[in-house]
Amino acid sequence: MLSIWIGALDQGLAYAGLALGVYLTLRVLNFADITVDGSFALGGGSAALLISRDVAPPLALLAAVALGALAGTVTGLIHTRLGVNDLFAGILTTTGLYTVTLRLMGRSNIPLTDPPLAIRHLPDLGLGPDGQWALALLLVVAGLIGFLALMLATDMGLALRALGNNPVMARANGISTGRGLTVGIAAGNGLVALAGALVALYNGFADSAMGIGSLILGLGAVIVGESVLRPRSVPMALLAVVVGSVLFRAMIALALQLGMEPVDLKLATALLLLAALALGRVRIPRLSDPGGRP
Amino acid sequence: MSLQVRDLRWGHPQPGGGWRQLFDGFQLACPTGQFVVVIGSNGCGKSTLLNLIAGSLRAGGGSVQLDGRDLVGWPDYRRARVIGRVMQNPLDGTAPSLTIAENLRLAECRRSSVFGRRGLLGGLHPSRADRQRYRALLQELGLPLADRLDTAVGQLSGGQRQTISLVMATLGKPSLLLLDEHTAALDPRAEATVMELTERLVRRLGTTTLMVTHSLEQALRYGDRLVMLQDGQLIGDWSAAERQQFTPTSLRALYGSATVGAGSSTSP
Repeated sequence: MLSIWIGALDQGLAYAGLALGVYLTLRVLNFADITVDGSFALGGGSAALLISRDVAPPLALLAAVALGALAGTVTGLIHTRLGVNDLFAGILTTTGLYTVTLRLMGRSNIPLTDPPLAIRHLPDLGLGPDGQWALALLLVVAGLIGFLALMLATDMGLALRALGNNPVMARANGISTGRGLTVGIAAGNGLVALAGALVALYNGFADSAMGIGSLILGLGAVIVGESVLRPRSVPMALLAVVVGSVLFRAMIALALQLGMEPVDLKLATALLLLAALALGRVRIPRLSDPGGRP
Repeated sequence: MSLQVRDLRWGHPQPGGGWRQLFDGFQLACPTGQFVVVIGSNGCGKSTLLNLIAGSLRAGGGSVQLDGRDLVGWPDYRRARVIGRVMQNPLDGTAPSLTIAENLRLAECRRSSVFGRRGLLGGLHPSRADRQRYRALLQELGLPLADRLDTAVGQLSGGQRQTISLVMATLGKPSLLLLDEHTAALDPRAEATVMELTERLVRRLGTTTLMVTHSLEQALRYGDRLVMLQDGQLIGDWSAAERQQFTPTSLRALYGSATVGAGSSTSP
């Protein structure tokens, strides 16, 4: 029984980068970015390919982040340079990324038989390999929260927050909205690709279709985290998003425990998110309308 | 810095078809430090002129020069590094989720690109030193907001937000200050506070300033020079001394009149 909850913790931490990426694009930049579905699979696929060819896992993770950031840059440029609507720009990129990921992987699935050596050297906390994973992922996620909290407190981070909050004010204070959006979307998708790579490593395989529904998973984590912790500062918001990711995974584990078929999970996730939005407990910019419709 | 607007051209399509050439060779020269008040009836081009200078609208021709440096071709965010601006709507000038200190920090570093190395590696902001500087500035200006630096701007009243917008517009030493009916949405008390602050900041910085207003009381009280626009043309131009011949009533009578010669002073 305990292993199920440790597994949920591991999954939640592995998916934390996805939640942080969605938080960065949707909450900070106020940009509904569908690219995450494509960049998640791109991160997982590229990391699995590199590790299967004996590239060190840290380098494979870095490569995944770089490719995810590149995918985000493409969406940012399509939106800011060509004036394409944000949703459509993301759809275009993520559609193209499906082919890119498949081409990169060479096949639809790459198995990874062994966990990285570094993880096997960590203390197992009496919980076996799942405990070692939990420790490794906690270190990675704590580093991510720290890095993002610092980044968002620099002048660049302030500018990104201002841009999502009031683009008119941002431009009137010398901030290039095009450059800012592109940088922010690239960073968000880099985080998402890192999550894809970590999930592939944890699950022991990468699949070209693993990104489908990622945006909903990330949104769910953001909503659950913000509902539970009600953060009032940026570092707390980042922590809330990670907690949300873990809780969201725990809810899925609970649903499976209660007998839900895995094939029904995506529908259940969508309904859960819809219920949260409909109840109006959480306002997601551009996804929930406080006024509603008659 | 001096402002030179030369041969400015700009027009727009009419709703029922056709084309309206609002500015056709418009000229305006403001020496360094001059505080110019711009008045005119609705649709005469006051705000459009400010938008063309700020780069929010692209001119069809002509030049906008600050101390001889031509700004034509610069996007609005790049012009904003040398032009401070306060807009009519108090919601437009600040980021509501950010604190007062964070808003002030963004305005203070407007002259540099925040998406370069300095923006990421230049330390955490607003720092303790930044806060001390902002507190001292707000205290010096006599603003009670000095003790509320960590308050989100969205929690402030319209007048307080416009006050912060005004302070932000003058931070980072802009070469030109554009005020677009910045007291129009405020109650009389807040209007008086913001106008008094405007006068002090403009005089203290010596920044060349263009202030658009519909308030004839403001037009007769503030600034070194009063200009009147009609249909994109300068139809009146008075120094502070010449302006004294007007009362609000006599000035109002000039609205809509095409008899005033551009660049001349006219009897009420």
